[in-house]
Amino acid sequence: MWQKSPNHQSLSEEEESKALKKAPSLRFRFILAGVLVIGIIASLAINLIFDYSQKLADLSYDRLLRSALLQMDENVGLIRNEVSIDIPWSAFATLAQAEEDRVFYKVESLEQGFITGYQDLNSFPPNPPVLDQIQFYDQMFSGEMVRFAWVQRYITDPETAQTVRIILGQTRLSREEMAAAVTQKAVEVVVLIALVAITLIIIGSHLVLRPLHRIERALEERVMGDLTPIDINTPKETHHLKVAINHFMARLQANLEQLENYTADAAHQLRTPLASLRALAENARDIGYSNSASPEKQHQALESIVQQCDTLSQTVTLLLNQAVVSHRLQTHRLELMDLLVPITASCREQALTALRQGVHLSLECELKESLILGDSFSIQQMMQNLIENAVRYSQQDQDAPAEVIVQVMEFDLFYRIKVIDYGEGIPESEKERVFERFYRGRYDVAGTGVGLSMVRDIVNHHSARVNILNTEPKGTTFQVDFAKHRFDGDNQ
Amino acid sequence: MRLFHILLLMVILQVGRAWSAEPVWFGDKNNTRMLYINSALDLASFEPILTVFVALYPDIKVAYRDVNTLDLYYQTIEEHKQPEASLVISSAMDLHLKLVNDGYAQTYQSNFTERLSADFKWRDQLFAFSLEPIVMLVNKAAFPGDIPEDRQSLLQTIRQNEQAMTKRIGTYDIRQSGVGYLLASQDARQADVTWGRLLEAFGSHKVQTYCCTHEIIDDVASGELAIGYNLLGSYVSQRARDDDRLTMILPKDYTLMLMRAALIPKSAPNPTDAGLFLDFLLSDSAQKMMQTQGLLFPIRPDANTPNDPYVVNAPGPTGVIELDQQLLVGRDYAKQKRFIRNWEMALEIIAEP
Repeated sequence: MWQKSPNHQSLSEEEESKALKKAPSLRFRFILAGVLVIGIIASLAINLIFDYSQKLADLSYDRLLRSALLQMDENVGLIRNEVSIDIPWSAFATLAQAEEDRVFYKVESLEQGFITGYQDLNSFPPNPPVLDQIQFYDQMFSGEMVRFAWVQRYITDPETAQTVRIILGQTRLSREEMAAAVTQKAVEVVVLIALVAITLIIIGSHLVLRPLHRIERALEERVMGDLTPIDINTPKETHHLKVAINHFMARLQANLEQLENYTADAAHQLRTPLASLRALAENARDIGYSNSASPEKQHQALESIVQQCDTLSQTVTLLLNQAVVSHRLQTHRLELMDLLVPITASCREQALTALRQGVHLSLECELKESLILGDSFSIQQMMQNLIENAVRYSQQDQDAPAEVIVQVMEFDLFYRIKVIDYGEGIPESEKERVFERFYRGRYDVAGTGVGLSMVRDIVNHHSARVNILNTEPKGTTFQVDFAKHRFDGDNQ
Repeated sequence: MRLFHILLLMVILQVGRAWSAEPVWFGDKNNTRMLYINSALDLASFEPILTVFVALYPDIKVAYRDVNTLDLYYQTIEEHKQPEASLVISSAMDLHLKLVNDGYAQTYQSNFTERLSADFKWRDQLFAFSLEPIVMLVNKAAFPGDIPEDRQSLLQTIRQNEQAMTKRIGTYDIRQSGVGYLLASQDARQADVTWGRLLEAFGSHKVQTYCCTHEIIDDVASGELAIGYNLLGSYVSQRARDDDRLTMILPKDYTLMLMRAALIPKSAPNPTDAGLFLDFLLSDSAQKMMQTQGLLFPIRPDANTPNDPYVVNAPGPTGVIELDQQLLVGRDYAKQKRFIRNWEMALEIIAEP
């Protein structure tokens, strides 16, 4: 049967809004993910900027420091074998470009000791000293972090040689200021970019989800019973959704059509026997008033009514079965099953009925098991229809009792079921039409005209094959082939 | 090194002398709020300003002690842990800047200091409140020949009047006066050759050296000196104004411009009132007062209108002594030693080695 929601009533508005509130938002997730990624990238960038601006400021101001140091170095000389330095004003004018920074320096020679500057300045650089190579480093002095440049070189004249060391330092105020300025500008730009990106994501998320809203609106605005495919233009990304909805609607339409057909069938099937039942009943009623009324005739009339009732009952059962089979075919998966079970069951069921009509029903089968993929209930219905059909069309000869044989045989790839009767047989011209709905070969024989069309539906659904053959010397053989089930891994 | 020791000894002696000097008090003596100012600024120039200040803030009393620039420097270092003064004012910009550079001053910021041009302050710890020319003072009667316009003409006069100029020139003893050293070193920086010739001429004519501007001015006024060289413009203009015998000369070749600057020592006992006084010095009223009463030359040019009395304009280029790290070079130990030695040799105080 179809799967249905237990309570088809639509939810109240309050419940709906509650459910909506609880439901995760695609847009929110999208935006959140975007913001997270942008946030991480931005913070990485800002981190880099901090580092870079510090380096940049050091680079620029180290140039000043180096220049001042070299100017001092140039003015170191030997006077009467003593190192002396005449610090040029320009050296400190260079340093004064870092307007607010304090300046510390020291000049000493290894041989002569302290020459000038700040005596308590540490004269040892953090890295191993290399002659003539300027070192830059940060060190605390006088309560402040100071950037130092350090150089050591030989100074010689014919009489003496000395190693002179110059240490020149400058506080970091201007550097920090410059770094902060650079950082601030860069951070402003990064934040701006991040904000723009987030805005774009928000707008983008709206645009991306718009086709979904369009489909949603198209579905909401449909008039009742409109199952035509959605034909609005949607982008590639929502195309599949549209196709899926359209497929779903097509299936729904097919189901509905079947239901309609079935209802029409049922009405058709029931109308005729009801009409004839009414006629028979009228007949029986009128017999009482006619001249030729006799209890026998009345009995006969009532017997006809009872027979007609049986026929009607049979038809109703058949229709119900057909409905069940039709639903099963649509809603049930094919399962692994033993073909013999429904065949045996239906033979057993029909044997007595057939015998009452003077037909001997026999099952010829030497198989123990025959596995196929199928629906047991449907196959039983199919067998029932075929056997009923065969019994119905068997020759009703009083002398020789008629016979219907059911055979099951095994072939390499399939099982073959044969239902053999020795009736009048079906003319070649009609063999094509017997499976049509409501087609009845002979109207003198009772029947609904539905049974064989059902057989065809079941056979098709199982991807089986049905053939109508002639029985020798006369009669009809229905032959149905079911594919064997192959186990995976079977080497066949 | 020996020289350094002598210098140090001298300093200690003088600091001892300075410390014994009693301050001058302003305001109600019973006030508990006290502002102690150490200053190398003549009280005559500063008294009116101090009087107005205590009138403005009647609950503050001010102690004002006049100290020589060099003593001021050593004293500030000496007592840096527990300074007596909350404000230190000096005309020896280089020593004051070195004090700030070496971490003896504290930061002060106010609307008034913010308004001050960046050229006139350093690190928000050193604030200039006056900018004055460095001048020559001539006794018209005592000076032979024409009144000199610049250093060249002074040199010429000295050469032409050897007899009359001998022992008749007065200037600072750069060993004793901080501002004297600063002016000499700036002269040497501005015009090295002229400075050399001038020094040589001074030396060969037995220049008289003094510790303080006032003594030079006094001696010029009395006629003992014909000319005083490198004197502070504010003092000279006051005297020249009142004394017809004297003429103030702003050298035409270049006129040095000197700032007077103030700082608040790091552990000053009363930095709040020191800041208050500093703000007052930089205020429109005090700046205007300096100009109109001819006390000092204001730092803020906008306080100066051409119609104000006592406005002087240098006839030639001015060499403003910049208030920045360059001043440290002049006070470099080796440079200072060499400079003083050369000065002593030129002035024949010590013999050439």
